[in-house]
Amino acid sequence: MATVEEPRTFIRPDGKEKVTGTGRYTADLVLAGELVAKFRYADHTHARITRIDTTKARALPGVLAVVTHEDVPDVLYGGMVQDRRLFAKDTVRFEGDVVAGVAATTAEIAEQAAALIEVDYEPLPVVTDFEAALADDSTLVHPTWESYEGDEALGRHDNTLGYSTIVKGDADAALATADVVVKGRYFTDPVQGVPIEPRAVIAQWQGDKLTVWTSTQVPYAARAGVATTLQIPESNVRVIVPLLGGGFGAKCDFHFEGHVAALAKAARRPVKLVFSRREEFFAVGHRREGMVIEFESGARSDGTLVARKARLVLDKGAYCGEGGFFAQMAAMHALGPYELENVHIESSLVYSNNQPSSSIRAPTAPQVCWALEQHMDELATALGMDPVDLRRKTLIETGSVTATGQVLERIAMKETLEKAVEMIGYGQELPDDEAIGVAVGWWPCFASKSGAYVKLNPDGSGTIITGAQENGTGSVMAMPTYVAAELGMQPEDFSMLYQDTDAAPYDMGSCGSQTTFNSGRAVIAAAVDLRDQLLDAAAEKLEASRDDLELTGGSILVMGSPDKSVTIAELAGEGTFHGKSEDVVPDGPEAPAEGCVGRLGLESFHAPQLIAHAVRVRVDRGTGVARVLEVAAAHDCGKILNKIGADGQVYGGVVMGIGQALSEGTQLDAEGRHRNAHLTDYKLVTASDAPKIDVAWIETDTPGAGPKGSKGVGEPPCVPTAGAVANAIAKVIGARVHKLPMTPERVWEAGA
Amino acid sequence: MSVQTFTTASTVEEAIAAVAAGARPVAGGTDLVVGARTGKSTMPESVVAIHRVAELHGVESLADGGLRLGALASHAEIAASGDVRKRFTALSDASAIVGSHATRAQGTVGGNLMNASPAMETGGPLVVLGATATLRSPSGTRSVAVEDLWTGPGKTSAAADELLVGVEIPAPAAGTGSAYLRLEYRRQMEIAVVGASAAVAVADGVVTEARVAMTALSATIRRIPEAEATLIGSDGGSAAIDAAGAAVAAASTPISDVRGSADYRRAMAAVIAGRAIETALSRAREENA
Repeated sequence: MATVEEPRTFIRPDGKEKVTGTGRYTADLVLAGELVAKFRYADHTHARITRIDTTKARALPGVLAVVTHEDVPDVLYGGMVQDRRLFAKDTVRFEGDVVAGVAATTAEIAEQAAALIEVDYEPLPVVTDFEAALADDSTLVHPTWESYEGDEALGRHDNTLGYSTIVKGDADAALATADVVVKGRYFTDPVQGVPIEPRAVIAQWQGDKLTVWTSTQVPYAARAGVATTLQIPESNVRVIVPLLGGGFGAKCDFHFEGHVAALAKAARRPVKLVFSRREEFFAVGHRREGMVIEFESGARSDGTLVARKARLVLDKGAYCGEGGFFAQMAAMHALGPYELENVHIESSLVYSNNQPSSSIRAPTAPQVCWALEQHMDELATALGMDPVDLRRKTLIETGSVTATGQVLERIAMKETLEKAVEMIGYGQELPDDEAIGVAVGWWPCFASKSGAYVKLNPDGSGTIITGAQENGTGSVMAMPTYVAAELGMQPEDFSMLYQDTDAAPYDMGSCGSQTTFNSGRAVIAAAVDLRDQLLDAAAEKLEASRDDLELTGGSILVMGSPDKSVTIAELAGEGTFHGKSEDVVPDGPEAPAEGCVGRLGLESFHAPQLIAHAVRVRVDRGTGVARVLEVAAAHDCGKILNKIGADGQVYGGVVMGIGQALSEGTQLDAEGRHRNAHLTDYKLVTASDAPKIDVAWIETDTPGAGPKGSKGVGEPPCVPTAGAVANAIAKVIGARVHKLPMTPERVWEAGA
Repeated sequence: MSVQTFTTASTVEEAIAAVAAGARPVAGGTDLVVGARTGKSTMPESVVAIHRVAELHGVESLADGGLRLGALASHAEIAASGDVRKRFTALSDASAIVGSHATRAQGTVGGNLMNASPAMETGGPLVVLGATATLRSPSGTRSVAVEDLWTGPGKTSAAADELLVGVEIPAPAAGTGSAYLRLEYRRQMEIAVVGASAAVAVADGVVTEARVAMTALSATIRRIPEAEATLIGSDGGSAAIDAAGAAVAAASTPISDVRGSADYRRAMAAVIAGRAIETALSRAREENA
């Protein structure tokens, strides 16, 4: 056990195994007798199923199970609206709908068997134009939508799955009085999470007990999904996540654990599903949504924003899942971190026969921010103002009241802007093919229950038992650091028992930038409880008052009597110490949100994180190819508890933002099928394309913040990047690109 | 279909015998396996690994000023050659940007040529440098100009029993400069959406020789005689370059796909070809200086 207490870098304990290739991910696990699962996907993107015949598939030697809707309970599931079955029953609604699953002794046999399943269809009209899906006479993706259970506040109607407005004052009347009015219409392609580890699931039954190893960001949601769809108690389901190879949101929600468990049950053998890269693109009901975004803003000649109107249409795709809150979340980003006198924002989340969208890192925010920040720059141009000056004039600050009535008690929005423009050297002379663009954004924290235990082992080392996930987000660094700080020990003194639903209490998972905010709070609370137990024991042993004791360097000392001390290891060897969290979820801020509909709780942003990015971009006018050369990212994410991890989140988020800005987009054909479901033509940004990224943290004390004044960190870094890049491109080419991603061809078309 | 027979050849004769018996040769494996995995092609029933055949390796500068590339010369090896960089610069440009570091370490020039993708990097440079491919079969050896090697996307004029064993590039004329350029959306893992190669010789301020080829703009990589004609005899100034670029665009028959529309590709054909020619000309002038 380390006993020297000095600040130093704590290297992530899972780093070495990941880098050297010894780490074991879900697909690496091998169970005796395991079978391979393959799915038969929908042959149409919208069709009625008239017949499913599995006879030939079942007869194929080596096939041990074929499962269709007939073999599982007839259960509808879905986080916010229950609109989906594990296996399609009467209708397929997108390319990746699963009609049947096969478990066989080899992948080749399973594939062959899946192809042998006979499915007859009556094709239905395909709804791919999600804006047109709003029309009264549109084909309904879910004709029986009224019969579905779902969150009442969504305001569902026909193809509209969610509808939300933000209304303040009279925007139309105010626009009529504005000195300058600017309008814009923007369009975004769907984007994928693209975890480098394609997902894998292994299911094994022992009697009524089921163990599922799965590459999920949300093991507790996966457990609940299995229990619901297979109609078994959660206590019979154990979900374990081996090393997780990234997720970026795409591994949130319950996806295929139920399918594989059903196959394992039918086959009476363990069954393993490992996705191909192509499946990871098209079959996962989880990608960033395409949008149509319209803005109209009016300002007085001094820059004051008198009104903003916005109309947003979001492509939900075929099913709801956990992403039902997108209409309201997008509306909040259409508001943005601005002071606005009058507002009318209308946001619709619409079913289509496209791949379902759900939370990808900061869902809805990068696209809406990209459009809004371009719109703000266009407004600045119309006003004859510098775009940074316009933001200085109009951004929220401490004491601001948002359009929904939330009072912002302490925020550092403007400080992030100033820091970002300072870091990039805004205003410097640049070659005529380069420009600097600036964009700002915001993102809420999500308070959720979480629990943890910290126990001491007899040798004085400790084990942290937490529901926190390691999705690349750094919780394996953060949690030991937090606990060690409470106990006067070193992070290396702790191991983690995590990503196992049978071990730790419920946790939301690696989503919503919540790991430090909630899991961190629980882990620290458990450490404090353990600390109390240690102090009690030490007080007795040292015959000293608790108040005189100090935990430091792995020992408990009596202050002022350096010779009176006991090591934590000694105490641990003699007694039993286990701390447990007592969870107090911080209350969110109030927002009256008068006149707003579709209120799901996002009308106020809990402990908002504020972001400003300034980027220097070079555009090749001949080809439209844009390169991001430099990024300055300034964030108010409250107090930073783990700087290496936080900086890493910004580097990754910015690079993801650049991908969204310039090259990442799923292209669909007329029937909603993927045209670029592979890494050759779904163009991620490579390490060679990554620019210089400078990070600054503006550490504020935000009311309602997480442990020690922290806020979230993980999602905001990808929010304003695309908007900043867009503004830089527009400065170089003197024209706006109204489609995202801003591919070379689109930049060239716009007038490079 | 899965592979039923896999053998490893240690001599050219063994490799040729296996190919003649119906096996597909695999060297770097960057096209064969990847293509099968993505469904672009099927795995052949019989495969012969040729990567251990020593005679097929190597980048060799010839006494007559030419260059010989073994079919198994990797892109990384070619890109690292100082002689290629100095005298066959277009090929160096191309080899340095094939795929990723991993692709370049593994992928071979022979595989690139015989895969016959109209978007391959090394094809255009070898065409404008006047390279010939050497094909061997049990019945003998023949040479074919690289520009006559391809008959369509994924198709070559090689007979079923022929194995590409090497590529020879003749000594460039004095005062030659060459370049390969592609339109790229990112710096690694990129595939040419539009590419252009140029090799030009300049004497006394006049272009005396010019070869221009386009990549990813028609069913096969091919030379554009109209572009070459506008350059030969000219001063290699911007008017001649623009005219040559326009000739490439006019000769292109691009497709629209996820990588770009035909209109964009055609417009970029002129831009990229113009830049490739301009770079080749400036390299030629440096040679003369």
